Amino acid sequence: MKKGILYLNQFFGQIGGEDKADFAPVIKEGVVGAGLLLNNLLEDAEITHTVICGDNYMGSNEKEAVEEILGFLEDKEFDIFFAGPAFQAGRYGNACGVICKAVKEKFNVPVVTSMHEENPGVDMFKKDVYILIGGDSAAKMRKDMPKMANFGNKLLKNEEIKGAKAEGYYPRGIRLEVFLEDETPASERAVNMLLKKINGEPFVSELPIPKLDRVPIAPAVNLADAKIALVTSGGIVPVDNPDKIQSSSATRWGRYSIEGLDRLGNKAEGAFKTIHAGYDPAAADADPNVVLPLDALRAYEKEGKIGSIHNYYYATVGTGTAEGEAKRMALEIIEHLRNDGVDAVILTSN
Amino acid sequence: MNLEIGNFQVKNVQFGQTSSYSEGTLTINKEEALSVVFQDDHITEADIVLAKPGDDVRIVPVKEAVEPRFRLSGGPTFPGVTGKIERVGEGKTVALKNCSVLAVGKHWGSFGDGLIDMSGEGAKYSIFSKLNNICLVADTDEEFERHEIQKKNHAIRWAAHRLAEYLGSIVKDMTPESKEVYDLGPITKRDEKVSKLPSVVYVMQPQSQMEELGYNDLIYGWDTNRMLPTFMHPNEILDGAMIGASYMCCSSKWSTYDFQNCPTIKSLYKEHGKTINFLGIVMSNLNVSLEQKERAAMFVQQIATNLGADAAIIAEEGYGNTDADFIECFRLLEEAGIKTVGMTNECTGSDGTSQPLAALDESADAIVSCGNVSTLIELPAMETVIGELESLMRDGLSGGWEDDDVLGPSVREDGSIIMANDSMFCGDSVLGQSIKTVKEF
Repeated sequence: MKKGILYLNQFFGQIGGEDKADFAPVIKEGVVGAGLLLNNLLEDAEITHTVICGDNYMGSNEKEAVEEILGFLEDKEFDIFFAGPAFQAGRYGNACGVICKAVKEKFNVPVVTSMHEENPGVDMFKKDVYILIGGDSAAKMRKDMPKMANFGNKLLKNEEIKGAKAEGYYPRGIRLEVFLEDETPASERAVNMLLKKINGEPFVSELPIPKLDRVPIAPAVNLADAKIALVTSGGIVPVDNPDKIQSSSATRWGRYSIEGLDRLGNKAEGAFKTIHAGYDPAAADADPNVVLPLDALRAYEKEGKIGSIHNYYYATVGTGTAEGEAKRMALEIIEHLRNDGVDAVILTSN
Repeated sequence: MNLEIGNFQVKNVQFGQTSSYSEGTLTINKEEALSVVFQDDHITEADIVLAKPGDDVRIVPVKEAVEPRFRLSGGPTFPGVTGKIERVGEGKTVALKNCSVLAVGKHWGSFGDGLIDMSGEGAKYSIFSKLNNICLVADTDEEFERHEIQKKNHAIRWAAHRLAEYLGSIVKDMTPESKEVYDLGPITKRDEKVSKLPSVVYVMQPQSQMEELGYNDLIYGWDTNRMLPTFMHPNEILDGAMIGASYMCCSSKWSTYDFQNCPTIKSLYKEHGKTINFLGIVMSNLNVSLEQKERAAMFVQQIATNLGADAAIIAEEGYGNTDADFIECFRLLEEAGIKTVGMTNECTGSDGTSQPLAALDESADAIVSCGNVSTLIELPAMETVIGELESLMRDGLSGGWEDDDVLGPSVREDGSIIMANDSMFCGDSVLGQSIKTVKEF
C-alpha cells in the first residue's frame, strides 16, 4: 500500500477559523477533517499523516513554516503529497503552492493541489505543481477532493497523463507533441476550424497565443476631491530597505509614510533611494522624486488641483518579477488602499 | 482548369526484365531505370533499392521524395526540372499511388536531409514509412559541397524527378484503376450559388530563405527566393509545378511528393461549392530580412483582399525565423478582415517549456499545430540501413549530433539512434497529413 500526506490549513484541519490563522504547523498521524474523503477515494494508497498550518503563519513566516514542515516530513515514507483543495481562498492557495513546490523539490514525489481559477495561487504555482481546476468555495469539496484523489491514483499507478485539458489541471507551460487517437489529419482540422471561424462558432486553437491581460482604463475621478496614492514598481524605499524587498524578481512590497513631507529626501540625506536592479540608480538616488513624484503632487495639492495625497506610498521592484507575483502583490496592496479610502492611484515604474 | 489524375494503386514493387505494371505490381527494369538516372554525368554511382512497410529497414540520408507521375499531354511532368516550362494542372496525368521515389545519399547527408524507418516505433513519425519506397541511392561528383552542411543536392534530386517521370510513363497507355478530378473554373465565371459562399484562399509559404540559388523550393523551376507572392490555381500545385527544397530542417520540409498530394488543397476542394468558394492559392514565400518579410506579407494581403477572400488558411514550411513571416502574414490577413487559420509546427524544446513560435501575435487565434520539432526520439537498431547511418551524426543533419554531454552521439555503435524529430523525413506534414498535434501538459 502506497502512502500519501495531506496539507490542510487551520480551518480544514479543524483547528479553528480566522482567529487561528496564525497557528504554527503541526503534523498529525492519520486523517483529519476533509482528509477522510481523500483517504477513502485513494485506491491503493492511504493518507498516513496530515500537516496543518495557519494561513497567516505561512503567509508571514513562509521560510520558517516551510522549514518546519519539511522537517516533519524528513523521517516519513511517502509516495505522494496533497494540499487543499484551496478553492478561491488566496492565502490558502498560496500556502498550498508554496508547500507543494517545496516538497516536490526536496523529496521528488508527485504533488497535487486544487484551486479555483481566480485563486492567485494558480498563476503563481501552475508551472511548478499540478493544480487541479477546482470550485470557488468549500461547498465544492465533494467535487474537488475526488478529483484530487483520482488524479493521485493515476500518478501513483504511473498511468499515462494525457495533457492538462484531458486531466483537468491548469496547463503548466509545457507543450509536447502527441499523436491524435482519432488520427484526424491536420488538413481536416484546419478546414473544420476555418468553417467554425467563418460561421462565428466557437473553435479551439491548437496553439493558444498567451493572452495579454489588458486592463481597461479606470473611470474618471473628480480630482479636486480625490484622495490620491502613489504606488511604484521603481524600487523607491527608505534607505535601510526595512522590508528587504528584493532588487529583482521581487515577491515583497512595502508601505511607507510620506505624511508631512513636501518631497522625498535623497540617499545622501539618509532618506530614500532605489533598490531596483533593472536601471541605473544614479538619478533616482540623487532625487527619488523623479521616480515617485511626491514634489509635483504636493504642488498640485497646494493649488487645489487634487484633494489630498494619501499618507502612505507603496513600493516594489518590477524587474524579472513574475506576472503572477506582480498580480498577487497588487491585490494585496489594493486591499489596503480600499480600506484607507483612496480614490485614485498614480502608478510609476522607473 | 480541369485536371484528371488517373491512379494505379501499387501494392508491390519488384525488379524484372521489362518495366511494367499489372494488378498492383510494379515491375522495374533496373538497368533501364538507372540509364535515366545516369543521364546526368554528375551522378557517379547509383543503385535502386526497394523498401516496403514492415521491413526492418532504416533509410538515411533522404533528400527528396517524389510520387511517380506522367503527364499525358506530352509536356514534362515537372516543368523546369524534367523539361521545358509548360503550364500544368490541366488535362490528364497518371500516378503510381502508395509509392514514392526517394533520393538517398549513398554516403553524404546535409542539413535538410531526413530519416525514415520502415517498421517499429520510428515508423509512426513519417508518412513515408507507409509507402512502397523506390530508393535511388546515389553519389555524385559535386565536390564543392561534399563536406558542406548545406548542400544543393542538385544531381541526385533532379535524378529522382527523372526517375519518377520514367516510372510514371510505365502506365501511360493503361486505363487507370480510379480517377480523381479537380475542376475549378475562373473566379468571376462561377455560378451564383458558389459565388455567394464564403470565399477562401490557401496561402502557402514554401521555404525560400537561402539567398544563394539552388537550395530553395522551385516554382516551375524558378527559385522561390526570387519571387513575390503570386496567385496560382490549386491544380498547378497538385500537378508538379512545385519542387521540394534542399534546405529546411527535415520534419518541417515539404517534399515534391507532399506538394503533389497536398491534403489541405484536397480538403478545400471537398468543401468547394458546399460550404466555401475555394478561390485558389496565394503562393508566397519565406524571407530573410524584415523588409522582405513585410513586403511579401503585404502582397499576400493585397492579393487576398482583391480576390475578395473572406477567409484563408496559411501554412509555413519552417519554424523559428520563419515564424515572423507566418505571424506577419496572419496579422495582415486578419487586419484586412480575412478570417484566417494557420498551420505550422512548434519548437517547444525537448522538455516542452520553450515559447512555441519565435513570433507571436494575438491575431493568430486559430492555429493547427502539426508537431514539435524538438521531440527527442530514441530508436533501436534496424537490420538494414539504406544509405549511410553515420550521416545522421556526421553531416550536420538538423536533428542529429556528433556528441552531447548527456545524450552521447546520435548514432551508437550498436546501430541504435537518438535524434530530434527535426530530422524525421517530412515528419510534421504541415501541408496537412500530420496526425500529430501539440498539447499542454
